[in-house]
Amino acid sequence: MNSLKTVIGFTLRTKLLTKSFIITTAILVVLISIGVNLPYIISLFSKDEPVKKIGVLSGSYTTISESLSQAFNGQENKDLQIIVDPNATEGQLKTQLENGEINGYIKLEAAEGASPEAFPSTVYYANKDLGFTEQSAITSVLSVLKTKWIAKDALSDEQLAQLEQPVRFDTVNLKDSEEGPVSEADDMRKMVSTFVVLALIILFFMTNMMTGNMIAAEVTQEKSSRIMEILITSVSPLAQMFGKIIGMFILGLIQIIVFLLAAFVNLMLPHNAAAFKDINFDISMIDPNVVLLGIVFFILGYFLYATLFAAVGSIVSRTEDLGQAIMPITMLSLAAFYIASFSVSAPDSMLVKISSFFPFFSPTTMLLRIGAGNYAAWEVIVSVLILIVSILACGWLSAKIYRTGVLMYGKRPSWKEIRKAMKAYKI
Amino acid sequence: MKTLQLDKIVKQYGDKLAVNELSLEVEEGEIYGLLGANGAGKTTTMRMVLGLIYPDEGRISYYGKPHSKELEKIFGYLPEERGLYPKVKVCDQLLYLAQLRGMSRKDADASLKKWLERFQVPENYSKKIEELSKGNQQKIGFIASILHNPKIVIMDEAFSGLDPVNVELMKETVKELRDQGTSILFSTHRMEHVEELCRNITVLQKGQAVIQGNIRELKSKFPREKVMLRTSGDVAGLDSIAGVSGVERIPDGYSIRIADESAAPHILETAMKQTAIQHFEVKEPTLNEIFIKVVGGESNE
Repeated sequence: MNSLKTVIGFTLRTKLLTKSFIITTAILVVLISIGVNLPYIISLFSKDEPVKKIGVLSGSYTTISESLSQAFNGQENKDLQIIVDPNATEGQLKTQLENGEINGYIKLEAAEGASPEAFPSTVYYANKDLGFTEQSAITSVLSVLKTKWIAKDALSDEQLAQLEQPVRFDTVNLKDSEEGPVSEADDMRKMVSTFVVLALIILFFMTNMMTGNMIAAEVTQEKSSRIMEILITSVSPLAQMFGKIIGMFILGLIQIIVFLLAAFVNLMLPHNAAAFKDINFDISMIDPNVVLLGIVFFILGYFLYATLFAAVGSIVSRTEDLGQAIMPITMLSLAAFYIASFSVSAPDSMLVKISSFFPFFSPTTMLLRIGAGNYAAWEVIVSVLILIVSILACGWLSAKIYRTGVLMYGKRPSWKEIRKAMKAYKI
Repeated sequence: MKTLQLDKIVKQYGDKLAVNELSLEVEEGEIYGLLGANGAGKTTTMRMVLGLIYPDEGRISYYGKPHSKELEKIFGYLPEERGLYPKVKVCDQLLYLAQLRGMSRKDADASLKKWLERFQVPENYSKKIEELSKGNQQKIGFIASILHNPKIVIMDEAFSGLDPVNVELMKETVKELRDQGTSILFSTHRMEHVEELCRNITVLQKGQAVIQGNIRELKSKFPREKVMLRTSGDVAGLDSIAGVSGVERIPDGYSIRIADESAAPHILETAMKQTAIQHFEVKEPTLNEIFIKVVGGESNE
């Protein structure tokens, strides 16, 4: 126990204060800060954009152009101004465009082969494309005008309003809503759950890859510098391996906490706090079950993968060969990541159900099911038990491989040799 | 009771016999020399003694008992490839290693400072290994292996890569440890170190012990084959004496190889008749000569 603490302490001390660790963490903190502030930064830039002025060549459709200008010019903070001059000719508008007085103009004219009573075609003439938002704003106004144009006075205002409404399609889950109908808050809660699950899955994957690679590289380095020979003669391989794994876990945890703090501090900045209030977010919306079980699966999953990384690191003699050797584990964790993230919209699929009992995938897929709320308690318990048994088995096997592998240099050992050695060495 | 006892140990790697039926004993306060060309099985033997790998056959006992976890505290090991973290500070890793061997951090720190002082490199305390010269890395590795006051020290090529001044310094240290009762098993290529430090040696060749025993006895067992002669003037007719196989002129005299020790008196007689003799010696073979004679050209492998 004492030596375990010594190994953890050493791992932490030597990794925490390295330049590479500090720099990587700092860079990621900067990236997170930029990410959190991105909406604000973008809004800063777009505020300075001048109002776009658009002329209209009405032709015989003055009613349309009038309505169009009313629709836009009546708005408060407008980014579009529609200038209607019934007497303007196309030549005048072109000169205005060249002088920069307008950004472009819309020409209303009867569509080819259609009667003048039909709704006209609208063509935008300009030197630069109209932005996507502006274009869709104009289109939606025009489609309302089109309805009115065709209906003339046949429909009441109420009927017109109905026509404008998009069709609503709501879902009521009878299983979830036993306590009553689904409220908007429930919807929100579900969204928050999905968000938390996704965040945990991404975090799991990243921590796994980063610390896993560090563990494997560290072991290989110890092996190639022969310090392993000294270590093995002074402390049991099991204590050594788990000391390293736990040390790296704490290291990863420290990093995550730093990131969360960075994100939190940035979110609390006055300009972001307002935006946060807008989306109505409340910490109580986070389901504590999801977070708690998420952390359990996170930790168990981490240990399962970490033991494998340590074992692989001990088989390889040179750091150059490491990348190739850890490939299978990388594949496993990639699969765990993708199965879960591609199934976010279908957490009930057979694939997710089966893989939620497979120890290498369950940390992500079981979590997905928990987030979706479609799970039975026994399923979670069985999944956790399978995971724990796998960790013990993998830990034991990895420690054996670790003890054996670190003394095998040069040529690849044959299976027979490995088996024989693994039988012999105590861990 | 013998500190360390190897009884007919055998180690096989694939179809290569790395160590074959090797037996040796190291007493308390003894430096035991393990010699041999590269690949002769020295490092394998040392790893078996450390319990890093297990012999396929035979027994290794420590104070009469088999290997156990308690031994880890009293082992000191200096591998041939130093065995240090290149990117970690000297103090950090040496204190770590000493702690793993059961020493308290405080004691280890005091001991480390004392040793650095002794080796005249106190400024290396908070430097990284990769910043040090090879010789200084060697010193740190050496300190790492003895920092926790081990009872059994195993050193693989302890003196390689050091300048003569530092070799002397380490030799003094090793002798001191020996006098304090530490048992040391050490391997080397350099015969002069062995002659100075060891009482008993084993010369390995392809895993076999080809020479083994007390250095004095070994030397007397090998025939004296060289006569050193220093004279004032020239001596003629040396090569016609029966038993002389070669004569070499050296400054102030001759180095004469003889096939038979009985030729020596005749050489002296012949020389005395012709000139004044300043020096006459029938040289006992050096370990180097014995080594080369037994192991042969393969020592250059």
